[in-house]
Amino acid sequence: MSGQQRRVAGKRLKRIDGIGKVTGKHVYASDFALPGMLFGKVLRSSEAHARIVRLDVSKAAALAGVRCVLTAKDIPQIRFGTAIKDRTMLAEGEVRFRGEAIAAVAATSLEVAEAAVRAIEIEYEPLPAVFDPEQALQPGAPLVHAGWSDYQALPVFDRDGNISGRSSMGSGDTAAGFAQSHRIYEHRFTTQHVHPGYTEPRTAIASWDGNGDVSVWSNTQLPFDMKNMLAEVLDLPANKVRVIVPGIGGGFGGKLRVGVEHFAAWLARKSKRPVKVMTTSEEELTDAYPRQPTVVTLKTGVSRDGLLLAREGKVILDCGAFANSGPATAAIALQVLAGPYRSPNLAFEGIAVYTNKGSTGSFRAPAGPMANFAVESQIDLIADDLGIDPLELRLRNVYREGDRGPAGETLTSISIEECLRKAAAAIGWTQRKPGAGRGKGIACSWWLTTGGSSGVYVKINPDGTVTVVSGAVELGSGAMTGAAQILAEELGVDLTDINATDVDTHVSPYDYGAQGSRTAFSVGNACIAAAKDLRRQIGELVAPLWNVAPDSVRLEGKGVVSGNKRMSLAEVAGLSQRTGGGLISHGTAIQPMPVFDPNRVKNHPLPAWTSHSFHAHAVDLSVDDVTGEVSINRYVVAQDVGFAINPTYIEGQIEGGVAQGIGQALSEEIVYDGGRVLNANLTDYKMPTMMDMPRVECILIEKPSVNGPYGAKGVGEPPCIQPPAAIANAIAVATGIRVQALPITAEKIALARLKDGD
Amino acid sequence: MTRASLDLTINGETHQLMVEPHWSLLQVLRGELGMTGTKENCLEAECGVCTVLLDGKAVNSCILLAEQARGRSIVTIEGLGDPEHLHPLQAAFIEHGAVQCGYCIPGMILTAKSFLDERHGRVPNEAEVREALSGTLCRCTGYQKIVDAVIAAARQMNSWPEQARRSS
Repeated sequence: MSGQQRRVAGKRLKRIDGIGKVTGKHVYASDFALPGMLFGKVLRSSEAHARIVRLDVSKAAALAGVRCVLTAKDIPQIRFGTAIKDRTMLAEGEVRFRGEAIAAVAATSLEVAEAAVRAIEIEYEPLPAVFDPEQALQPGAPLVHAGWSDYQALPVFDRDGNISGRSSMGSGDTAAGFAQSHRIYEHRFTTQHVHPGYTEPRTAIASWDGNGDVSVWSNTQLPFDMKNMLAEVLDLPANKVRVIVPGIGGGFGGKLRVGVEHFAAWLARKSKRPVKVMTTSEEELTDAYPRQPTVVTLKTGVSRDGLLLAREGKVILDCGAFANSGPATAAIALQVLAGPYRSPNLAFEGIAVYTNKGSTGSFRAPAGPMANFAVESQIDLIADDLGIDPLELRLRNVYREGDRGPAGETLTSISIEECLRKAAAAIGWTQRKPGAGRGKGIACSWWLTTGGSSGVYVKINPDGTVTVVSGAVELGSGAMTGAAQILAEELGVDLTDINATDVDTHVSPYDYGAQGSRTAFSVGNACIAAAKDLRRQIGELVAPLWNVAPDSVRLEGKGVVSGNKRMSLAEVAGLSQRTGGGLISHGTAIQPMPVFDPNRVKNHPLPAWTSHSFHAHAVDLSVDDVTGEVSINRYVVAQDVGFAINPTYIEGQIEGGVAQGIGQALSEEIVYDGGRVLNANLTDYKMPTMMDMPRVECILIEKPSVNGPYGAKGVGEPPCIQPPAAIANAIAVATGIRVQALPITAEKIALARLKDGD
Repeated sequence: MTRASLDLTINGETHQLMVEPHWSLLQVLRGELGMTGTKENCLEAECGVCTVLLDGKAVNSCILLAEQARGRSIVTIEGLGDPEHLHPLQAAFIEHGAVQCGYCIPGMILTAKSFLDERHGRVPNEAEVREALSGTLCRCTGYQKIVDAVIAAARQMNSWPEQARRSS
C-alpha cells in the first residue's frame, strides 16, 4: 500500500474548515444563541467536605429577572458517572469538594444570574476531609463517599472505600527476577493536576420543544455519550434528547463528559425558556476534568549489561471527589509503565483514589505523561548508575517485532528502535553535554489507537460534490480533513469537493467520538467502507447501460470509467436521483480486539492495546545557573504515524502536544492548599506562551499498521507523553539535579542547588 | 442600571446602541450586536481571544468598556477580509496549517495585523513575532505554524505599496 501513488491522501492540503475559522464565521457552541434565551449560573461549595445545614434561595428567587432557582430538592437525585455512578448534578445534603455545584440559577442576564447566586444563603457543618491520596488509603481515613458500596459501577473495577478502582497486570515471577538481578532500583515520582487548557470554555444551550424533547447545543467531544448521559440525568428515554455540536474550541479530552449541559437542560426544563451555561476560568480550574495527579513507585531489577529482568510498579492516582475516568486511567497507566520495554517478569498495580478535591478526567493520553515520566526518568537513573549510555540502555530493552505485549498479545509493526535512533541523531546525541548548564535528554513511549466503532453516511450530490455525515466532531486536529482526504482518494474526487456536516445525534450515524487518537483512523476506515459500497452501487447502475461487468467500473478524475466509456460523477449521481433515490451509503468500521492472555490482567477495562504507535522525543536545553530557569534550545520528535494522511496537521498535533507536555514538565499546576485551589485563573495557571515554546522538529516515521486506513496509526495523543521525562533527563545532564516531582519549576531547581550547597 | 446611548464605529459602519455604562466592548460586540467572530474566554486579558483593533492597535475587548471606544475606530475579524477576499494574514494562516480548533485565531490574526502595521512593511524575524503575539494563548498548535504564517504574510504585504497596506 505504502508504495502506491495517491492524489489526495498523504498530501499537505488545506483543511476543509479553515476559511470559516479565519474569518470569524465558524460558529462555536459559545457563539450560539436562541431567542428568549436565559443565562445560567451555578452556586458552588466553599467547603471541601461538609454537611449543608441550611440552604435558603428565597432572596435569590425574588430578584427581578430570575426565572428559576434549582437545588437538589427540586430535581430527582440521579447519580451518574462514567465508571461509577457517584455524582449528582447538585449536591444533596453533603458537599465533597470546594467547587461542587449546590444550586443553579437562570435569569434574563448573566449579571442577574450572578447576583442571584450571591444572594443564596447557605450554612455548612464541616466534615473530616482527606486531600492526599496516600493518606486516603490509610485505615481510618475519612471516607469521601460513605455510601460508596451502594453506588452502581462497571463490574470490571475492584472498589473499596476510598479506592474507586484497582487494576493489575503481571507475568512471570518478579521475586525470581529480582533474585537474579545484578542491581535493583527503587524510585518514587509524583505528578500534578494539569488542565487541558482549551481556549473555548465548556458551553451548552438547551431548549425544550412541545413534545417534551430537549435539544442541547454543546461543545462536547462525545455527542452520543453526552446524549445518553443527559437522558439519564434528565430521567428521559434517550430518543428524547438531541445533542448538536456546532463548533468546538479545543477539547484535549477535557470535554468528554457532562460539564454544563445538565445545568442548561434542567434550568431550561424548569424555566420553560432556552438556557445557556458557559464556564468561567475559575470554574474551569476548580470543577473540570484535569489530568489526575499521581504517585508512581517503581522497583526494577537489571542484569549487569542493563537488561530489565523484573519490574514492579504502583500507580496511585488521585481522581478527586468523583471517579469519572480515574479507575480506567489508573489501569491504562500499567501499559504505559510496561512499554516499550521487554521484561520477563512484571507486576504492576494501579489504584484510583477518592479525595476531597475537584473531579478529574481524561486529558490527552490519560496516564501517559505520568507513568512515562516515572519509567523514563528511572531508565536514565539506571543507565547512569550502570555507566551505560541511556540511549544504548533503551535500545537493549525495547520491543522487537513479534514480541509479547504486557497482556500477552503479539506485537507487530514495531518501530521504536527507528524512532529512538532518528531522534537521537537529530538532536546530536553524541554530545550530550555540549557546555556548562546545557544538556540533552531522550525519552520514548508507546500508545494505542483507541477502538470503538464509526459510521458515516456518504452522499454523492448531482453537482459532483460529496457530503459526509459523521458522528465524530472536528476538535481542531484536522482529523475530519484527514478522513475527507481518504474519502476523496477513494472516490476519485478532490478534497475541495468534500463537505462535512456538523454532528447532530438525531441525524448523524453513531461514532464512538473524538477521543483516543482515533478520529481520522476510524472515520477514515468508515469512509473507505462507504466508498467501496458507492463503487458497487455505481457499478450496478452503469454496467447495464454500458454493457460491461459491474466490477470493471472505476472511479477516477471525478468520473466513472470502464474501458473507453466515461460519465462524470455528477452525471451518475443525477442519474441515480432520477432512477434510484440517489447515491448514498453507510460505511462502518471497528478495530478487532487483539488476542491476549486474561491471566495477565485483572480488573482492567482495556487489557490489550489496538494499533499501537511508537515515538521518541529528544531535547537540548539550558538551565540558568542562578535562577534555575530552563530554556529549550531544540526539541525533536520522531513519531511513527503509520501513514501520514496529512503531514501538515500531523506536525500540528505533534507541535501542540509537545507544548502541552512542556507545560506539564515546567510550569503548569493546579495548586491545591488542602481543598482550595490557589491559582484558579489564567494569570497564575501558567500555560506556555509563544515565547516559551521552541521550534519542534518533527520526524514522521511510516511503519504501516495492520488496521489503519492506508496503514495509519493514531497520532493525536502521543506527543504530550514524553516531554516531562525527556526534559527531566536533560535537566539532570545539564545540572546534575534529578527532579522527581512535576512540574520542574525554576524554583525547584534553584532550591535543589541550595540543598546541595552548590 | 440606566442605559445610555453610544454610537460605535465598527468595521467602518456606525452602530447606534443603548448600553449600560459598565458593559465591556466584548459584551456589546457579542451580546448586543451578535458579532461572535470576537471570542470570549478568560475575561481578564490573559488569553487574548477577544482581541480587536482600536484605532489600529490590538486591545483586549474583555477589559475595555464599550464607552471607551466612543468616537474611535473598531475593527473586528469580520472587518478584515471575507471568504472571497481573504486578508494575506488569513490566507497565510490557512496555507501554513496555523489553524486547528480556530478559537484563538481571530485574536491572533488581529494582533498580528496590529504588529505588522506598526512596522510599516518591515518583515519581522521569528523572535519578534513570538514576542509580539505572546499575549494570545493557543493550546492546539504549539505556535510554530502561526509564527511561520505571520512571517509569510509579512513578506507578501511587504511587496505592497504603503497605501495598500494601510487600507488592507
